[in-house]
Amino acid sequence: MKGITGKRFVPLCIAGLCIALFAACGGKKSGAVIINYPTFQCGVNTAAPVVEQLIAEFNQQYAGKYEIRKEDVPGDQNYVDKIRVQLGTGDVPPVIYGGGYNLLDPALARDVVVDLTAVINGDSEWKALYSDTALTVNSRDGKIYASSSEGSVIGYFYNKELFAKAGITAPAASWDEFFRQCDTLKAAGITPLALDTADSAWISMLWMGAIIATENTAGLAFMQQMTPNNYNTPEMIKAAALIQNMLRNYTTVDAVGGAYEHAANNFLSGNAAMIANGPWMMGDFSDTTKTSAGFADKVGAAVYPGGFVYDAPIQGYFVTKQKDPALQEASIAMVKFFTSAHAQQVALEIQGMVPSSPGVPISDQAKQKWPLLVNFLDQANNAQFRSDNLQATMYPNLLDIVSQELPRLAAGSITPEQFCQLLTEGAAKNN
Amino acid sequence: MRTFKHLKTVEKLGFVAKYVFLLGCVCTALFPLVWVFMSSFKTNAEILSNGISLPSRFSFDGYTQALKISPILQYFFNSVVITSITTVVNVFFLAMAAYIFARYQFRGKNILYLLLSLSLVIPMTALLHPVYMTINALHLANKKSGLVLVYTALNLPMSLLILRGTFQSIPRSMEEAAVMDGAGFVRVFFQIMLPMAKSGLASAGVLTFLNCWNEFTFALVLTSSQSARTLPLSLSYFTSQFSFNYTAMFAAIVIAIIPSIVVFALFQEQIVRSLTAGAIKE
Repeated sequence: MKGITGKRFVPLCIAGLCIALFAACGGKKSGAVIINYPTFQCGVNTAAPVVEQLIAEFNQQYAGKYEIRKEDVPGDQNYVDKIRVQLGTGDVPPVIYGGGYNLLDPALARDVVVDLTAVINGDSEWKALYSDTALTVNSRDGKIYASSSEGSVIGYFYNKELFAKAGITAPAASWDEFFRQCDTLKAAGITPLALDTADSAWISMLWMGAIIATENTAGLAFMQQMTPNNYNTPEMIKAAALIQNMLRNYTTVDAVGGAYEHAANNFLSGNAAMIANGPWMMGDFSDTTKTSAGFADKVGAAVYPGGFVYDAPIQGYFVTKQKDPALQEASIAMVKFFTSAHAQQVALEIQGMVPSSPGVPISDQAKQKWPLLVNFLDQANNAQFRSDNLQATMYPNLLDIVSQELPRLAAGSITPEQFCQLLTEGAAKNN
Repeated sequence: MRTFKHLKTVEKLGFVAKYVFLLGCVCTALFPLVWVFMSSFKTNAEILSNGISLPSRFSFDGYTQALKISPILQYFFNSVVITSITTVVNVFFLAMAAYIFARYQFRGKNILYLLLSLSLVIPMTALLHPVYMTINALHLANKKSGLVLVYTALNLPMSLLILRGTFQSIPRSMEEAAVMDGAGFVRVFFQIMLPMAKSGLASAGVLTFLNCWNEFTFALVLTSSQSARTLPLSLSYFTSQFSFNYTAMFAAIVIAIIPSIVVFALFQEQIVRSLTAGAIKE
């Protein structure tokens, strides 16, 4: 029987282990209200140091009262997926950052968002940070639900050395001149554009939006509209045709099927002369793990042909309804802190992010660290036309359609008209 | 014994073709591993510009960055704990279930077995919401135990399938002989059947281990702190929409795949033997 006793010891151990494991209880309790904050701004995300600093400052300022506990959700899409699952179950984190992913609307559809209108209107300092466009981006039906900290001022970057090699002296003022420059670059053996089609084709879609906005007043109105339902417009079809031309004739071989990082690498390696992107890319120009030393000096920034620049605050932070009023109050304090003038200044100095509020000045430290940004903002201030970017205004489900259909558009499997029709059909699924 | 030069021309061709085929198989199997390993020494520009080129220099910076950017060692430890416990719990309980399914007749046996096996065809994404709510209701969210429970359940059908086949392949005469010698049910199971089902246990264990080690979605959704997160999540720290560090990511992948390779290398004979064991019945 001794043998059996010995053999029984193993299953008993396993059972004991299971009981001990499942009986493990929660974390330690403290007096402060804990705000569990999931964020994708971690790891290699350029905003990671900004978030780290703001959390440290908030926890210090509200020591003993509120405490933010950061939950890393690395990878933008992972974050969006997780928030969507949580929205589906109703178990949402107290503060959600909408980012460029329009998470506010799905959250509103679930009726889990706290209306901040009264709080913001009652706080003159906070209210003063809202520009008209910030109010539009963060409000629905006249109610303010979110607060922005980052502006999305986006033009394009160009390689001055490659431009000079092709005999181009300045960025194009019109689209005709732009395509002539592309031909000139191509004739000089230089690939004009770094483009992408995967992961919602961020860069290609920036060019597309700029073309639409500068076509005519209807195009600009289309770009300034939230969640348009009809993409079968002459401006949209023309832009799709020009993007098809760009993908076929003016870009690298890995653009079709390639993601942002491929396009970025083509620009950073000097394989392509132009890339559309925001100021957050400027840090990469001096990152020697991605490019050669001194590359930053070769880069210039410009607004789009036709005097257009993307200029809209990125959808900000919003508070969700919580059973515990103290947690809801703490969450509002966090959102206020994270979107304050100080927080915007921190993001500007560390990351080169443009403040969402026009009232936040560009500090000397930021000017010294990001001279290209200062130069670009000067040009952006003089731009004639501005709007939010195409991806921020379209229904989220259209992003997948864009990634799926752009390679087919480039291959000629579908026409620009069919591409626009597919977007229209995708938009209709949201109604 | 005939040497190569004594073979006929046709036999020589066959011999060469066989080894060319085997070499092709080896290269196909090794290429991804070698590619990942070589990429961990290349710069981001080298990786994105020419995926199959050799690194211009051998530097361990990628490994240093991998450890700095993501809490890979903590996640590695969590993965080891969660995967090991899941594997043991899964194999232990399902061996008992599989033995009953293989040897005993009871009302509803086939329907129950069918139901358990059908869960193989349910997509993981369809399980996300109900599993999330269940784990939350059990207060097991953000705990290693929550993941252990989910992974044990997710690997149930495959382990049951393998172990039932294994027990069916063991001759009944072995149990009968043990009973004749006075062994009871528990003793027959633990001292006779389990040792004889070693290959099946190893196979189910290895597959469970690999599935748990590589699982991403539930680990992402069911955990929120570093104390319970697993290794696959650490790989997401190296890419975001507008930033990337592929050198560090490939270094992290090398760190992540080593245990899988070791486990498979150690138990590969048992896996292959077990996969064919169900084919022979008494």
